[in-house]
Amino acid sequence: MSASKTTRQIVIDGLWKENPIFRQILGICSTLAVTNVVLNTAVMCASLTLVTAMSCMTVSLLREWTPRNIRMMVQTLIIAFYVIIVDLILKAYWPEMSRNLGPFVGLIITNCIIMGRCEAFAGSNPPVSSFTDGFFNGLGYSFVLLAISVVRELFGMGTILGFAMPYFSNPEYWDKWVIMVMPPGAFFALASIIWLLRSIKPKEAK
Amino acid sequence: MRDKPYFAVVYMFVLTAFFSAILIGFARLTRGRVEANEQLNFERAVVQSFPNIQFKNDLEVHQIFVDNFEKDEQTGAYKYTKDGQLAGYAIPFSGQGFWDDIEGVIGIAADKRTIRGVDFYEQNETPGLGARIDEDEFRKQFVGKTLEDTDEPIGIVPAAQTPGDNEVHAVTGATQTSVRLETLMNQDIRTWLDAMQNEGVTP
Repeated sequence: MSASKTTRQIVIDGLWKENPIFRQILGICSTLAVTNVVLNTAVMCASLTLVTAMSCMTVSLLREWTPRNIRMMVQTLIIAFYVIIVDLILKAYWPEMSRNLGPFVGLIITNCIIMGRCEAFAGSNPPVSSFTDGFFNGLGYSFVLLAISVVRELFGMGTILGFAMPYFSNPEYWDKWVIMVMPPGAFFALASIIWLLRSIKPKEAK
Repeated sequence: MRDKPYFAVVYMFVLTAFFSAILIGFARLTRGRVEANEQLNFERAVVQSFPNIQFKNDLEVHQIFVDNFEKDEQTGAYKYTKDGQLAGYAIPFSGQGFWDDIEGVIGIAADKRTIRGVDFYEQNETPGLGARIDEDEFRKQFVGKTLEDTDEPIGIVPAAQTPGDNEVHAVTGATQTSVRLETLMNQDIRTWLDAMQNEGVTP
């Protein structure tokens, strides 16, 4: 990052132009793993957005002090710190969700988006814009994941957030696509959504 | 100071100590709640190993557990009493699964033979494969099966095989989980059967 970006640019880049999922194809493991039910996805997205924003801000606060050669260690430490906090909060106050998400909360540590943002942006920008950058990259991740999970839950189970949807929950009209809630369904949904979102851009550019 | 070669080491130590201290404090703060949740998880598994018990919420689960289940110190199992009558046994089992420990409870009727139900309260098997042992489809198979008085009271057989009186179908694609689950369940059920027989109550 050479010239500093305006907040507006940071927001647009995180949400759209450099969207971590459908532009950079980062953090795909969790995209595939936790998108079969909308509620789980929403909690995962909230956790990731929070962790990314806070980690980026902390990395940025310490950037003047952190020696270059150990910056990766420091970043991992900071990310792990926030992830463990999120994990503990879920375990203590929302045990069912913690059970549903299982190991995936802990695996946020390895999500490439967070370290990617810390490396690419937070390491060389002030705390507030780093926070904004992390936050909007998290949101960029979230909206794609939520779109995927809506498709998967609707086609696979005929519900959204557990509520039965008209037409889709009626076995007379709609044969549930069981494959959509299983791991392979994530590949189809992810690929279709990346294709759809990427095909929008050229039209805008024309 | 900052250009000294040891600065990086000191810096990392200080930073790690700082963040760890906060985490330790936070973990202590939430420990009570986390432990209570784990205990409730266990109680729920015990109650759910008898699928005919109805409950609406966690509070009821705890109430039923306290009222109707009593730990038998000798066997480690829980005696289930209903309306003053012995209605069955809930036997906790645990052991190494494919990735991590699998812990669960099996409910046995008062005849010490008929399986009433199975529930797991801790497992970290592969999502979509081994983890499916936690799904109704797999667990419901146990209901009504009969323990065999051998070294292998229950069996988990591949889908191609017709399950016998004490056998259920494995989750397809989860061979390792199934093999280990079978072993660990059999060990703990066998121990319980032995303990019961030693007490002079032959099944």
